[in-house]
Amino acid sequence: MINLVSALGGQLLQRLALLGQALLMLLQSLRVLPGKHGLSRLIQQLYVVGVQSLIIMLVSALFIGMVLGLQGYTLLSAYGSEQAVGQMVALTLVRELSPVVAALLFAGRAGSALTAEIGLMKATEQLASLEMFGVDPLHRIVAPRFLAGLICLPLLVAIFSLVGIYGGHIVAVDWLGVYSGSYWGNMQQAVDFGEDVINGMIKALVFAFVVSWIALYQGYSCVPTSQGISAATTRTVVYSSLAILGFDFILTALMFGGA
Amino acid sequence: MAVNGIIEIHNLSFFRGNRAIFKDIDVSIAAGKITVIMGPSGTGKTTLLRLIGGQLQPHRGEVQLFGENIAQLNRKQLNQLRGRMGVLFQSGALFTDLTVFENVAFPLREHTQLNDMQLHDRVLLKLEAVGLRGARDLMPSHLSGGMARRVALARAVALEPEIILYDEPFAGQDPIAMAVLQRLIKDLNDEMRLTSVLVSHDIAEACAIADRIILLGEGRVLAHDTPEALQTSTDPAVRQFMHGEADGVIPFHFPAPPLAEELLCDHASVADNRGGLQ
Amino acid sequence: MHKRWIEISVGLMLVAGVVALLSLALQVSGGHLTRSADRYPIDALFENAAGLAPKAQVTLAGVTVGEVVAVVIDPQTLMAKVKMQINGEVNYLSIDSSASILTAGLLGEKYVGLTVGAEDEVLVAGDMIEDTQSALVLEELIGQFLLNLGDSN
Ligand SMILES: Nc1ncnc2c1ncn2[C@@H]1O[C@H](COP(=O)(O)OP(=O)(O)OP(=O)(O)O)[C@@H](O)[C@H]1O
Ligand SMILES: [Mg+2]
Repeated sequence: MINLVSALGGQLLQRLALLGQALLMLLQSLRVLPGKHGLSRLIQQLYVVGVQSLIIMLVSALFIGMVLGLQGYTLLSAYGSEQAVGQMVALTLVRELSPVVAALLFAGRAGSALTAEIGLMKATEQLASLEMFGVDPLHRIVAPRFLAGLICLPLLVAIFSLVGIYGGHIVAVDWLGVYSGSYWGNMQQAVDFGEDVINGMIKALVFAFVVSWIALYQGYSCVPTSQGISAATTRTVVYSSLAILGFDFILTALMFGGA
Repeated sequence: MAVNGIIEIHNLSFFRGNRAIFKDIDVSIAAGKITVIMGPSGTGKTTLLRLIGGQLQPHRGEVQLFGENIAQLNRKQLNQLRGRMGVLFQSGALFTDLTVFENVAFPLREHTQLNDMQLHDRVLLKLEAVGLRGARDLMPSHLSGGMARRVALARAVALEPEIILYDEPFAGQDPIAMAVLQRLIKDLNDEMRLTSVLVSHDIAEACAIADRIILLGEGRVLAHDTPEALQTSTDPAVRQFMHGEADGVIPFHFPAPPLAEELLCDHASVADNRGGLQ
Repeated sequence: MHKRWIEISVGLMLVAGVVALLSLALQVSGGHLTRSADRYPIDALFENAAGLAPKAQVTLAGVTVGEVVAVVIDPQTLMAKVKMQINGEVNYLSIDSSASILTAGLLGEKYVGLTVGAEDEVLVAGDMIEDTQSALVLEELIGQFLLNLGDSN
């Protein structure tokens, strides 16, 4: 019994120490302002993290919107209120699905790539050699990637929502014949910018922070061997996904739960 | 004690886990000389270079560069100091997202205010010196191992630093490239009054180039002297290494329990060791 | 050239993101940038406010003009006091306006429907609507229906 408790305590302390280390890495990487080439490095990373995730986001958003349109229509027409399908599609996307699905895709697409890239840089002594040129790898490598993640995901989520809503429009209006005016009208009635759109964006920002942080820390602290890197990449995807779903519940409870 | 070497190591001890890599060693490396560090594989030659570069912290003792104890420098001072130092890593460590040209230009962009023209000329000169001017637009993944190492060498000397640490610059080079690199290192040293510290396994080539040889073994400095003195040394360990004898006082093996003990151990534990590479 | 492409595509992505955000603001949420700007409070007393919840719509001729903020019990009359916020530009509700609790569809949400009366004087912040019609409670209706059925037999 005492052994169990002390083992648990040990585990907890170890986790806390890791968290502290990860926090320290983040703070250190963001301590200094970007240098003279900071902007072009940021643009490079925005391309890798953002533009290269765009296609998968667009395709997923379109399909998810179409599925929501179809499901919503079937469900709502049973009550004769299929004109509310626009509102259902929009609220589902803006509040929940866009931030969560986009963040999960982001973790799989961009997060794992970040971990592998940095892990490989570590294994091939590129980080050490930066250090020997008097360049702080946290500042040069970690910071622009973190900022890029923070900027990209919220924008990708906004694009995701919009594309999804048009996907729902294609199915509900163009195929199933819901009146376009009520599709948009009901939606505009129901969706509130401050409460729904902004809250969705706040979720996106939190997820962006968490996923980028996990991915970069896993890469930076991985064991610099091929198994080490592959394990770190897996951890990035698993931890990010769990963190996204956990934080989503907490944020939803804070934002929409209660009165 | 008067500081006379450009690199001074006092009473340094360093551990990996419980194993002491270095036990209270003292080394003084003179300015403007080529010092070759030799020793059996796994004795800590790379580790010693990392201690000198400040990438590893000694557990005891201190490392002084240019008369300053590097453990007491803050980050900015340390980075400044590293601007006066070039390093060639054992693996080359080229930046895989930059071209050959940009790799060599990297330290120049970081530490100098050269304009584009000057930078261009300087980089091409360095690449010419290692025979790879024609490869300037290639990415590191398109280079052979030996070429990558030569680019890394060009990068390490691009800043024309005061100290250069080379970790096995000759490994994987053909005889011609080897001779060229040897001459390059020697020329750099003589013309610019650099201090070169290099790790090598090749006794003939080390003797040809070195002013001083440091022989490491078993966590200690076995010898630190001129090549001639080492070749005529009567110390059994030095003789064994310098003449490449398989049997002698220097252990060839990584520390382990006696072989007989392991061969006679219970065979249950052997089954556990299967697996690994599949 | 490669570098230009990177810069251009990153620029396009950023623009697309901002445009998406703007259209979420304008097209999707219909420019309801804020909910609480310029409104005034009105109360109404109902016999029974069953099913009416905060955030329910307040409509006039089917058009939303405000929302319910709270449903509480009035300790003096023991009736349900419904507190509403009416949009500022709707400043023509006469003091004899009436309010009823309606249902959207058979099983849909409850909302408050206002009907304007004949007086010239209008309701101002903090006024109370006297003329109200309570919510239909389905169970009571069914109970009455069954009772009538039993009587007629
Ligand atoms: N990251 C590490 N963790 C634990 N032990 C290490 C680590 N790096 C090196 N070692 C150990 O330190 C010892 C010295 O390593 P080092 O790389 O300095 O050897 P070396 O003399 O450069 O060998 P070689 O000539 O083969 O390059 C080795 O025995 C190795 O097992
Ligand atoms: Mg080595």
